[in-house]
Amino acid sequence: MATETESEWDVKVPDKPLKDKVYFENLKSVVIDTEMCSRCLTCAAVCPGGITVVNNKVDFPDYETKCFDCGACVRVCPRFAYEPKSGLGDHIEFTAGRSKRFSGQDGAMVTELLVSAMEMGMTDRALFAGRDEKWATEMFHARDPEQLAITTLGGTKYTFADVLPALKEAVKFTKSGVGIVGTPCIVSGVRKLQQEYPIFREKVKLVVGLFCTENFHYDDISSYLKAKGVDFSKLVKTDIIKGKFVSTMTDGKVKFKVAEAEAIVASGCNVCTDFTALESDASCGSVGSANGFSTVVVRTEAAKKVMAFIREKGYADFDEGDPAQLGFLIGHKQKRAENIKK
Amino acid sequence: MKKVTVQDQSTVEKVKCHAAAIGVAMKESIYPLTATVQYPRQRKKMPDNFRGYLLFDPEKCINCWECAFICPANAIRMKEAPNKKYYPTVDYGKCIFCHFCIDSCSGGALRTTKIHDVAYKDMDDMVTLTEEMIEPPEIIREDKTLVEYQIDKKDLQIKKTREVDYLFVDEVPPSVEILMVSMCIDGASCIGCHVCEQVCESGAISSAIANGVMRMKIDTDTCTGCGLCVKECSMQILKLVRK
Ligand SMILES: Cc1cc2nc3c(=O)[nH]c(=O)nc-3n(C[C@H](O)[C@H](O)[C@H](O)COP(=O)(O)OP(=O)(O)OC[C@H]3O[C@@H](n4cnc5c(N)ncnc54)[C@H](O)[C@@H]3O)c2cc1C
Repeated sequence: MATETESEWDVKVPDKPLKDKVYFENLKSVVIDTEMCSRCLTCAAVCPGGITVVNNKVDFPDYETKCFDCGACVRVCPRFAYEPKSGLGDHIEFTAGRSKRFSGQDGAMVTELLVSAMEMGMTDRALFAGRDEKWATEMFHARDPEQLAITTLGGTKYTFADVLPALKEAVKFTKSGVGIVGTPCIVSGVRKLQQEYPIFREKVKLVVGLFCTENFHYDDISSYLKAKGVDFSKLVKTDIIKGKFVSTMTDGKVKFKVAEAEAIVASGCNVCTDFTALESDASCGSVGSANGFSTVVVRTEAAKKVMAFIREKGYADFDEGDPAQLGFLIGHKQKRAENIKK
Repeated sequence: MKKVTVQDQSTVEKVKCHAAAIGVAMKESIYPLTATVQYPRQRKKMPDNFRGYLLFDPEKCINCWECAFICPANAIRMKEAPNKKYYPTVDYGKCIFCHFCIDSCSGGALRTTKIHDVAYKDMDDMVTLTEEMIEPPEIIREDKTLVEYQIDKKDLQIKKTREVDYLFVDEVPPSVEILMVSMCIDGASCIGCHVCEQVCESGAISSAIANGVMRMKIDTDTCTGCGLCVKECSMQILKLVRK
């Protein structure tokens, strides 16, 4: 961190489409009211006022009086001047891995990457999206590999997690750096934060992206699953396998076609074309690799170093990955570009 | 090893030493000199920077909470007053009288007194509310004599005066003050929310927009180094540095 101090400095003043309105109202009319909002909460991470989520929508109660009109929200919103990305993206390596130390959704390579980065000293904390007993997400700041004994930290939660507001906190406390994981929208949010504010450029060292087709609001998915007969007290894993949503409980499974749940897919996902988290340091997912393995797409030097460390320590088994298997879902998401209104 | 040997003294010297000892004994039996202060009838004179009971002036408080933050014993709690401002309360069950609170108070709202003898009936009473800190506490004065210790070279002299000590400090004795000012450590990470500008009591922070950029400025001459902006900055990019 720069230690030089200054008594005068300049701040960018972003453009406003609605000139006589505060910035939040601009964000609201361009992104939220048009159902483009991905609920990544990048805006909430920087808002000094009170951007939050109300009834599944990003909102700012009493913004007329409480908005500072600083423009930070529109500077960082990945959908304000939306540039949809799609495809598999540039990468250094496409592989499949299975951690020997951790268990997760697939091969727990996400957990392995974040923990190894901590062990290497690249970061001193990693943010995980854990969950409570009702499967609502809860952010967790891990500072020690031993904390991964909390079994609910790994594994996929098919509902939004407040990763970026937690990142803001982590950035304030970290000394060497932070590692995080999130869906493609969250990854784009981090990159926006890094593009705009040096504090995030310096402190966020490893961004792991997840392959993602869509996500759900907590109230929607939980009542949907309950109606399907899922008992949260017995639920141990949720997964989407070959188009089926599978809820594994201690005493059986509930399965249904994800397509059936289309009505409750979060609206922002309908304009998202990014399946592979193109802007991440490394992306992980389940398609593209054998059962029990995570597909790993290594994109940057930072992620390459962590992978080399994992190999050197023998922390994981590796297998061939098959990029061709991603083709269908990449294409499926590319089609969503049609939903973007200009 | 070094052996301690008795000094070789002449007879004359020995007699002199004995005579001096007898002299001290006689003097003590007639006019005994004691270092003990006969409290509460006598009271020791305390220096002006004595770390005693605290007084508080809400008019000077800028609501920065620094006293509560710095208190190592966690004795200070901020409570909301009817005017919506937060003022300190002191739990004397916890206070260690370090007076970091006074040292950190940039508005000069906290003041010391030479009072060290406040008694309470129970622990709950020891939590002193803001309104109880504005006026000095009621204490029973029985003292008639003021005792002063004066150290003269190696000798301790005790000076007793028949007078009653004034327990308040009107003028804080000057100390070596370290002047601090707020500075920005990462201007590029500023989101431009103006919170610093709004909380600044001395009007040291200003902003102006020209050609699509906003210029933020801290006037280091006006800045009192109170730290309110440092505390409120949501990006944590302001820092107090020595002037
Ligand atoms: C909403 C969603 C949709 C997905 N859709 C697909 C898909 O269509 N195809 C596919 O191949 N893969 C998909 N994935 C990724 C896949 O489910 C696994 O997360 C991935 O393979 C990594 O497995 P792992 O065992 O390596 O991860 P683990 O080691 O188990 O770690 C996964 C990490 O992801 C984080 N996480 C979990 N849920 C969330 C969330 N909702 N938001 C942010 N972070 C979270 C947790 O912190 C956890 O530590 C999706 C993931 C999510 C969250």
